[in-house]
Amino acid sequence: MVEKFFQDHERKMPRDSLITSENDKRSKRKRAKSKQETSRRENNEEEEAQLTGGKGTKARKDIRNEKTRRMEKEEVREVDENIDEGKKKQGSTKKGEKKEDGGKQLVKEKARDIKKKKHKKAETSSEPETSEEDDDEEEDNDKDVVRPECLSPEELEKLKEAVDERKKLIQSLRGKPWPMKKKLVTLRESQEFVEKYEGALGKGKGRKLYAYKVLMTKKWMKFQRDFENFKTACIPWEMKIKEIESHFGSSVASYFIFLRWMYGINMILFGLTFGLVMVPEALMGRPYGSMPRKTVPRAEEASAMDFAVLWDFGGYAQYSVLFYGYYNNQRTVGWLKFRMPLSYFLVGVGTVAYSYMVVIRTMARNANESGVGDDNSFNFSWKMFTSWDYLIGNAETADNKFASITTSFKEAILEEQENHKDDNIHLTRFLRVLANFLVLCCLAGSGYLIYFVVRRSQKFALDGLENHTWWERNEVNMVMSLLGMFCPMLFDVISTLENYHPRVALQWQLGRIFALFLGNLYTFIIALMDEINLKRKEEKVVKFNITMWEASLYNGTVLENSTAPPVTIHPADVPRGPCWETMVGQEFVRLIISDTMTTYITLLIGDFLRAVLVRFLNYCWCWDLEAGFPSYSEFDVSGNVLGLIFNQGMIWMGSFYAPCLPALNVIRLHVSMYLQCWAVMCCNVPQERVFKASGSNNFYMAMLLVILFLSTLPAIYTIVSIPPSFDCGPFSGKNRMFDVIHETLESDFPPWFSKVFSYASNPGLVLPFILLMVLAIYYLQSTSKSYREANVELKKKLQMQNEENKRKNKRAALKAQMDLEEARKTAQEQQRNNNASVQDQEVYCVSELSDSWMKMRLSRK
Amino acid sequence: MVSPAIALAFLPLLLTLIIRYRYFFVLFYRAVLIRIWKDCVTGLSREERAFQYVLTHATPGDPDSILDTFDVWCSKVEFISNIGPKKGKILDRLLMEHSPLTVLELGAHCGYSTVRIARSLPLGARLYSIEMDQRNAAIAEKVIRLAGFDDDTVELIVNPSDEVIPQLRSDYNLERLDFVFMDHWKKCYLPDLQMLEGSGLLGKGSIILADNVLFPGAPKFLRYIRKSGLYEWKIHRAMLEYSKGIRDGMAELVYQGIK
Repeated sequence: MVEKFFQDHERKMPRDSLITSENDKRSKRKRAKSKQETSRRENNEEEEAQLTGGKGTKARKDIRNEKTRRMEKEEVREVDENIDEGKKKQGSTKKGEKKEDGGKQLVKEKARDIKKKKHKKAETSSEPETSEEDDDEEEDNDKDVVRPECLSPEELEKLKEAVDERKKLIQSLRGKPWPMKKKLVTLRESQEFVEKYEGALGKGKGRKLYAYKVLMTKKWMKFQRDFENFKTACIPWEMKIKEIESHFGSSVASYFIFLRWMYGINMILFGLTFGLVMVPEALMGRPYGSMPRKTVPRAEEASAMDFAVLWDFGGYAQYSVLFYGYYNNQRTVGWLKFRMPLSYFLVGVGTVAYSYMVVIRTMARNANESGVGDDNSFNFSWKMFTSWDYLIGNAETADNKFASITTSFKEAILEEQENHKDDNIHLTRFLRVLANFLVLCCLAGSGYLIYFVVRRSQKFALDGLENHTWWERNEVNMVMSLLGMFCPMLFDVISTLENYHPRVALQWQLGRIFALFLGNLYTFIIALMDEINLKRKEEKVVKFNITMWEASLYNGTVLENSTAPPVTIHPADVPRGPCWETMVGQEFVRLIISDTMTTYITLLIGDFLRAVLVRFLNYCWCWDLEAGFPSYSEFDVSGNVLGLIFNQGMIWMGSFYAPCLPALNVIRLHVSMYLQCWAVMCCNVPQERVFKASGSNNFYMAMLLVILFLSTLPAIYTIVSIPPSFDCGPFSGKNRMFDVIHETLESDFPPWFSKVFSYASNPGLVLPFILLMVLAIYYLQSTSKSYREANVELKKKLQMQNEENKRKNKRAALKAQMDLEEARKTAQEQQRNNNASVQDQEVYCVSELSDSWMKMRLSRK
Repeated sequence: MVSPAIALAFLPLLLTLIIRYRYFFVLFYRAVLIRIWKDCVTGLSREERAFQYVLTHATPGDPDSILDTFDVWCSKVEFISNIGPKKGKILDRLLMEHSPLTVLELGAHCGYSTVRIARSLPLGARLYSIEMDQRNAAIAEKVIRLAGFDDDTVELIVNPSDEVIPQLRSDYNLERLDFVFMDHWKKCYLPDLQMLEGSGLLGKGSIILADNVLFPGAPKFLRYIRKSGLYEWKIHRAMLEYSKGIRDGMAELVYQGIK
């Protein structure tokens, strides 16, 4: 092949003049060559010997034999080199003759080559294919002969070009209109060629360098692949999630991916609160017992270490860095002059801001990925080509998926049919309305129940909680958890009425549970608000009492001895306010704990215990428990996702008053990751209707955003409108919590900065700025809308073009067919004419024969 | 003391369970409660009541009419777990397609499925129907005769299936079973199948149809056919007879033999 290529480029002789072969000349030359071959270069000796052996026989047998031809070429080349080297074994005339011969030979080769190329392009028959392969094999045989050392720079250049050409061929092979077999063959050949001669492109040192480079690229590729593997191994729980995905389809996996994402967010929130609030206070703030707010009051001291108290986050847990009340309002702590109150405030704001940023960014990214897909236009094509979930690796799930695809096809066909006759649509509509009505009833009922319970608990609180049983004390939490657990089941049952596609049904279900949870959450918050107001009233009384108490204290001392040092009172004995912030924090922490417990217990009872019972009772039960009545549970994607989202909402709401909440949540998420992965793999069965949930992630995100907004509302409301407690927390003594900013601006920044800030916060500047932002948002939105429209237009255009092309092609094909038919017809006609003439002749003959025969018979007669 | 509010919170769960498993409750009511009550009131067995109804309402000698009457009785009056009209269509189709000459039915009960099979058999085919209960067998006999099938077409064997199957070859001179229909005790599906395999009556292409493999269900049977590799099998998913919401299925097995 190599030779072919430099022949192509070297010799530009007219082709037709050289095709005539001069056999005798060549044979003569060969004989001469065989003599000559004994004195070859050392490195080629062995191969040459073989060649002579082969040639001696073959050349005589058939001169046109390809192999021999190739050998001859080889020889010619070598002869040329010999000449270059100045060897004197041959006469000059002979040399010239040979050269000429060789040249002819080569050009012939080239001609053959061109023909071959033509064949390749035209792709008419398979004949040249086989011959080509033969050629290649033969080239393989004598490839060792071609050593890069013995190539001239020009030849090298050609070789390089050839290699490049091959590479190009490999790249463009995919787009060529060849049959697959031919493609494969060509690909293999080209790859072999490139591999063989690429290394040969450098001489000596260069070659080594090249080999080294190749080696290094291979190593680099391998390293990259390993690194990719390593990276995936580094993504936490990736393998677990993949396994689940393979067993349960992507809808279940999407929950776990969401859980992991949430875990990441919480890690950062935890890092912020832990690193900037809890640790500085614990290390540099005043120690426990130095102030009233940092000590357990005398009355609670006896029971402060009891487990029941600690479990309720009272006692020592309450008077620790875990809660708002423990923090001191001193402006700077420690030798670093760490601004504790400022840091507390900024971290509180920062966590929320960070969450907003992350959620919105993720949403935007997801929206980009999802792109603009119109699912309606090619319903069946979409179903045909995209309905398989390639991540499934479990036979049972695959069966389910198979079944679901078939059913979806059936349904789609039915839908298509029903599109034409829509008499049933009223029933469906009625059922959907009915379902929504039922769900609304449920929501109202649960809302009323929670309201009732909260009112009752307020009554209990007024009576004093000690007089009531555990059930009554925990009634609110219990009822909320139970409703949160059972109502979604009811919704699920009701939603079967509606007959939606499971993906749509999932979204409806999510929306309903969302409404339920939101109702619960807001009832809880309203109850909390009531309690805050109660506490603030109490605080007023306490404040008055304290001033009285202090006055009496000082009065007493003053009366006794005016010079005596002021009485030192143990901080545990100092009367103190109720500190509503800590109360709020405690409530949230309790809620999170009880929520977590409910989740885990439901998991263990509803999934694990059920699975165990079904599995082992099945041996001695009168019907099939596994396939029939209780069966194994399915993984409840919507409920779990919403549980996660609302949990996160509570974290956002409560973390300002209880800095320990992100830490708790991280632990919870970590545990539930493992627990749920285990539970899913061991006690759940794949959903009956496995569906792809690639688009649902953004739905989750949207809900998360809504919850984030709704949960920051009450937090911001309390921060802005309620004055902080007077004797606990980092903002004690201030009128509002955000006063800490003013304070910092005044005392820590140069005066011009605060001036600038005050100007900037002037409503006259802020309002135009907001207006500008709104305008910008409007502008961006309208441009994106127009882009979308343009996209749709482009898509339509593409479609049109495609159709046009198709039509054109069809027309061309039709024309070709017509031409072909015409040609065939003419050919047939010609044949017929020929036949007719032949027949005429035959008829003539026959008639003559019969004539003669008749004559004979007549004559006989 | 649990407060009423917490008890009320369990209401959605209760509702959910009732709605989700309503078909099972209905089935329980129809198949168990009504049956016990009627047994006490009439003093007849359920099958006898069914036969009386059929006798009074169906046209004698017309299998279709008898089957229809049975369906009406089972869906309107009481419940008997026959194969039912919908799954029966699958059975009919299979029989039509393969037109087997020797058919074995395990569990005739009160003759519904026997009539159903017998009416779609080709000429010269013979159906062996096994029923272990004496009283049911008597009723099945009457129903079969009422439908107009004689001893040449349908042979009713009153014995437990596990006793009959090993003797089929010797007592009834059977060489090969083309079609086996299983609708007796779900626990017996697997042992009977294995017995059939052991008896050598199954040849390549013999079809075994097992009803009610999902509800009440024969999990061991399904597990076995999945593993054994002797069969090409599939499950026809359908609903339980005379009931709308309970899933059930029929397993169709084609014996392939040891390859």
